[in-house]
Amino acid sequence: MNFLRLALHWNLWLAAPLIMSLAHAAAQTPPDSAPAGTAVKQGGPVVRKSYPPALVRSGRDLFRQDCSFCHGRDAGGGESGPDLTRSKLVTEDVDGDKIGVVVRHGRPDKGMPPFDRSDQQIASLAAFIHTQQSRALSRGSGGRKGVDAVDLQTGNAEAGKQYFEGMGGCSGCHSPTGDLAGIASRYRGLELEEQMLYPRHAKSRVTVKLSLGQTITGNLAYLDEFTVGLIDSTGVYRSWRTSDVQYKVDTAVDAHVELFRKYTDADIHNLMAYLETFR
Amino acid sequence: MNFLQAVFLLGASALIAIAPSTVMAQGVDEQMLLHPPADSWPGYHGDYSGRRHSALTQITPRNIKNLALAWVFQTDQLAQIKSSPLLVAGILYFTVPDNIWAVDARSGHQIWHYIYPPNNGEHIGHRGVAMYKGYLFFVTPDAHLVSLNSKDGTVRWTVVVADAAKGYWTTMAPLVVGNRVLVGVSGDFDNLTGYIRAIDPETGATQWQWNSTPPAGTPDQTTGGMTWMTGTYDPDLNLVYWGTGNPTPVLKGTTRPGDDLYTCSIVALNPDTGKLVWAFQVSPHDTHDWDAVETPVLVDGDFHGEPKKMLMQTSRNGYFFVLDRTNGKNLLTSPFGPLNWSLGIDKQGRPIPNPAKEPAPDGRLIAPDEGGLTNFRSPSFDPRNGLFIVDAHPSYSLYFAKPADGVYGWAGADYDVWGKGVIEAIDYQTGKIRWSHELGPEGSGAGVLTTDSGLTFTGDAMGNFLALDSSDGKTLWHAGSGSHIQSSPITYELDGRQYLLTSSGGVLFAWALPPEQ
Repeated sequence: MNFLRLALHWNLWLAAPLIMSLAHAAAQTPPDSAPAGTAVKQGGPVVRKSYPPALVRSGRDLFRQDCSFCHGRDAGGGESGPDLTRSKLVTEDVDGDKIGVVVRHGRPDKGMPPFDRSDQQIASLAAFIHTQQSRALSRGSGGRKGVDAVDLQTGNAEAGKQYFEGMGGCSGCHSPTGDLAGIASRYRGLELEEQMLYPRHAKSRVTVKLSLGQTITGNLAYLDEFTVGLIDSTGVYRSWRTSDVQYKVDTAVDAHVELFRKYTDADIHNLMAYLETFR
Repeated sequence: MNFLQAVFLLGASALIAIAPSTVMAQGVDEQMLLHPPADSWPGYHGDYSGRRHSALTQITPRNIKNLALAWVFQTDQLAQIKSSPLLVAGILYFTVPDNIWAVDARSGHQIWHYIYPPNNGEHIGHRGVAMYKGYLFFVTPDAHLVSLNSKDGTVRWTVVVADAAKGYWTTMAPLVVGNRVLVGVSGDFDNLTGYIRAIDPETGATQWQWNSTPPAGTPDQTTGGMTWMTGTYDPDLNLVYWGTGNPTPVLKGTTRPGDDLYTCSIVALNPDTGKLVWAFQVSPHDTHDWDAVETPVLVDGDFHGEPKKMLMQTSRNGYFFVLDRTNGKNLLTSPFGPLNWSLGIDKQGRPIPNPAKEPAPDGRLIAPDEGGLTNFRSPSFDPRNGLFIVDAHPSYSLYFAKPADGVYGWAGADYDVWGKGVIEAIDYQTGKIRWSHELGPEGSGAGVLTTDSGLTFTGDAMGNFLALDSSDGKTLWHAGSGSHIQSSPITYELDGRQYLLTSSGGVLFAWALPPEQ
């Protein structure tokens, strides 16, 4: 049996639209595409909002206790958590309005738990994270962890095209002028490479056949050994016990998983170089 | 001693070994730790072997369909339970960071709740307390060891185990061996020496310390080797077995050429002196954060026709190891899932790391991911089927390191690309997977418990508690828990009923057959 999960946590249903949009907002982009209002530009003068030192200190202490294991003590990334100093969500956050939502809801699909924090605590965390972001961006190239788009550009686009159309088998499902047109404008750098390797947010179709023969098709919304759920063509969620129905999940995305053991690292960089031409 | 005296002694010791403990006032003593009675779970692993396998057979594959909720304890706070509770004299003791609860195992009601004062240490998780006599031993995020009175949670003494200001923290459940409380430390974001410390249970004084790595700043030498999780003990050989963590700097090996001893190793120490007796390195010169701190499971049995005292570990780096625990010699090294970072196995049974798969400025695709092919989740050894059963995490990730990332702490970045969870039942003599049971995308945080009636208890990625048939992995029972399972199950007998204890989120669940069965 194949298990695909689009709703990990039991309350993800309520938060699903919110979490989807937060996930998109957290896409890592090069600093020169950050909105001018929050004003952190690499290479040019850095305009940063300054926060009261006491607020930053209490945010640092709270960050150290709850966040640093995954995000690093300096917010630059640690065990399994992203570099917040390069986060678009952080760049767009104003005094914790976006950071607070992520802290309080977590990111269940990425393994971040929720934290019950007061408005004052959120404000102090935001002050610390923004201060860390300003520091990281004004320091130049030293001491930064994390991945810039230029780090990934070691491949050859022509070799990537050969792989896409040949050994990779990508053109069996994808086209640079069709579904992938403009993909490199929608995703940049590390996020483009991660989506290329495994498109986390791709929806799978599922067809459920009831005992009397009726079939229903929709986007897979929930699956474990015991329950299968989908969103039907009218946008309504429906579910059945797996023991009462037959169901078939469209496993096209598994083709990405099959490639993991076949890729060389050169293949991946070449493919990235090719995909980056799809603007 | 005459014949009658000998018979009496034999009978008396047999009674002690298998009967429920009736002398409860003293708490946990050496005999209880050596031969845990049916109505106890006196240490993190349940016993010194780490097999997490119970002789209890009241719950069977035939009657488990009637397993019912006996009670639930809700901690009413957000930290997830990652500890294995202790059950001693009818009382359960379990933890989250900074917190210990004592709960009546009959009613599920709180007896007392201890809260350690607010502190800035790492609050990433907590594995539980240790007990000796009527004393509990509890490590804190800011690297202290607190000893409390089990009857009311009052503090006896607090000692510093490591310097939290330097970057150490502590999360593990200590191991009591004789009159020693063994404590391990954590801390990967700084270049720190790892160690195990033996502490006097009466006074808190340090008895000995074994360092896994040299002092920070030793030229061309590593730091790290953190002793994250609870070890195991063989009382006949008088050896304590412990796993050590990865080297620091984590993703960059340029300042620490060579094997980086004793990081990513299984070590055997003399518990009386703390001296190293033997060591086997699971990941020489690791650059992927793959600790070797997973349970070193002790099994006596046949290996290819010869009786052997074995030590088995499913390790984070993707290999299943079987060692002769008398001398550390390798008997078997076998992958238990996808891995792409090694050039093979050397003559000593150690993986050979592929330099082309070290973290690089433009990234390397690595299997498994940084979390590893398994992690803190306890495995179980089922002697009836000869199976080593583990919650595995087939996975792929990208690893980066560039000169600008420096040589301190993490020194790079890694990103998970894909992963799933699967229970694998490994034939310990060959490494072959006899059966597997899918758990779902991303993976499950549940550990594994097996019993003599042929049941395997665990949980899936969606928060379902599962009971599987140990012979083929088929699902026999389940219950949806509503949150993430991040602990390993325990079982014990109380008032003639067998209880299964599981947790999910901040809630503890007790399961049993209805009393009339």
